[in-house]
Amino acid sequence: MSIINIDKELCTGCRRCANVCPVGAIKGEQGKVQTIDEHKCVVCGQCVQICSSYASQFDTEITSIDLKLKERGMLEGTKEPLFAAYNMGQVDLLKKYLSDDNKYKIVQCAPAVRVALAEEFGMEFGKLTPGKMASALKKLNFDRVYDTNFAADLTIMEEGSELIKRVTEGKNLPMFTSCCPAWVKFAETEYPEILNHLSSCKSPQQMAGTIFKTYGAEIDNIDPSTILSVAVMPCTCKQFECDREEINSSGYKDVDIVITTRELAYLIKDMGIDFINIDDEEFDKPLGEYSGAGTIFGSTGGVMEAALRTGYELITKKSIPNIDLKFVRGGQGLRTATVEVGDLNLNIAIVSGLKNVIPVIESIKEGKCDFHFIEVMTCPEGCVSGGGQPKLLIEEHRDVAYKKRKESIYDHDSNLKIRKSHENPAIKKLYDEFLKEPLGHKSHHLLHTNYVSRKEI
Amino acid sequence: MNTFVIADPDKCIGCRTCEIACVVAHSETNILTQENNDIEFNPKLSVIKTVEVSAPIQCRQCEDAPCANICPNGSIINKDGVIYINKETCIGCKTCVVACPFGAIDLVSEYKDGEVVNQENLKCIDNNKCYFKERIIANKCDLCIDSPDGPACVKACPTDAFKIVKGTHLDKSIKNKRKKSASLL
Repeated sequence: MSIINIDKELCTGCRRCANVCPVGAIKGEQGKVQTIDEHKCVVCGQCVQICSSYASQFDTEITSIDLKLKERGMLEGTKEPLFAAYNMGQVDLLKKYLSDDNKYKIVQCAPAVRVALAEEFGMEFGKLTPGKMASALKKLNFDRVYDTNFAADLTIMEEGSELIKRVTEGKNLPMFTSCCPAWVKFAETEYPEILNHLSSCKSPQQMAGTIFKTYGAEIDNIDPSTILSVAVMPCTCKQFECDREEINSSGYKDVDIVITTRELAYLIKDMGIDFINIDDEEFDKPLGEYSGAGTIFGSTGGVMEAALRTGYELITKKSIPNIDLKFVRGGQGLRTATVEVGDLNLNIAIVSGLKNVIPVIESIKEGKCDFHFIEVMTCPEGCVSGGGQPKLLIEEHRDVAYKKRKESIYDHDSNLKIRKSHENPAIKKLYDEFLKEPLGHKSHHLLHTNYVSRKEI
Repeated sequence: MNTFVIADPDKCIGCRTCEIACVVAHSETNILTQENNDIEFNPKLSVIKTVEVSAPIQCRQCEDAPCANICPNGSIINKDGVIYINKETCIGCKTCVVACPFGAIDLVSEYKDGEVVNQENLKCIDNNKCYFKERIIANKCDLCIDSPDGPACVKACPTDAFKIVKGTHLDKSIKNKRKKSASLL
């Protein structure tokens, strides 16, 4: 079973999934059952988001819904309609682990989860609920409720320093972000010749996983082998990323289980937690502390904005004149800008929607690309529109929901006291006590990775 | 003449988006995102797929509605041009289901405030266990009578396969056909 699947019994062959697939991985004739080319598929889950063909409670000629739930790794008793395109769930497996007291259970949540989770409980689109989420996770029996936003700040420290190094040395430019695992898989599959342009930084999810099982284990005085590291993600490809063989620099599998935003909602409902009325709680410290820069990672342009806030100050040693870099925010496609950073004119580009990266890559191959730094996100609006987010049943809700989720992300950022990654006190402490310096020996070992060609010859 | 909705089978791609839109239009809260785990997922139209054709089938709001004519307790009425089932008085007798020539009527569980309604006086015995049975009622297209935007299926269809047919359209079409026929004489 792969991560993204199409149920043969339910597919009507309408091919709307094929239309949203950014890599043409869905094959089949109109009106016939579709199949997914696993090699090409980047596991982004946009097909899961758009599919509207479902198993009706009245269909008697198909496999029973109980059996389908089991096959899909979903919780027994989940009542929502099961759609033809789906992602293999991990929530049933996680539920078993949650009652295991021999495991030290650590959870992290991506920035886009806290602006969408509430929708699953009937609250309005984009409702921001970090406190309720942290509180619900504690009730679910996690020993530590940490945060991917913390690791997003850490990513900025490493990625920003890497960019400065590459620009100074003039090597391997432009540098692409590497936070989006679907983009990384796409580059490895279709364009292995540009892999040296990808930042060697692991994604925030994987950085968090490594830090939890090393530094996190140390500060809690826990044997890392007993840690179960769980991630809640808006993304279906994050499971693919955590299963990559090379991602084990803590000495163990850095992230053990990934569930989606929707799966977290199933779990909260299954455990009978009253999400709407639950009191806010805080994330655990220090690995749950984050800045506004960490939180905007969930929207297209967010990584770029976070990197510029820190990069500007690291290079110029001056405070950035305006912290809201609105020119990098925006919608689908390709956006470009030139930013004055001291004496340097930094050419940047932001790509959302994987198809839009192809012309950029072609221009690199032709030697005509003068960007220094390019952010790429596979999903149309960044992680807020990820394949694991609450499903939007009606097309006209899509734009509204994405807009509201993005607004919430930027509101969260502007309401936080600390809005720059390098000012996050927990990050400073982590470098002081453990990592020493960005791009240093320990960071290199724990937080950076390399890529492999997956091209079929 | 009653208005009705019909779809072009050549445009229909069988994606079932109309069914989803129908459920959403008739739910008080978003069906996937409500806190309650019981979901009233009963579309009032159904996409039919055979080897040759795919098309949504729904009520034609018949002028001389056989379902209404046959309903033993007058639960089906013509309400503002919509053949409408009164849920309160429907007894789930299935007569309308049999009478409908299009197969446009289904029997479904009744919901109230997001919960299944049980019939308290009809006990069921199964495997020596006694439980209450849910109330079952007839369900069919009501042209989204409560929605100011009109039928949800029409708006949601990704291929614009649906058409709202109004009495006035038919009158016009009849007149034009008559004119054509006259000119041929």
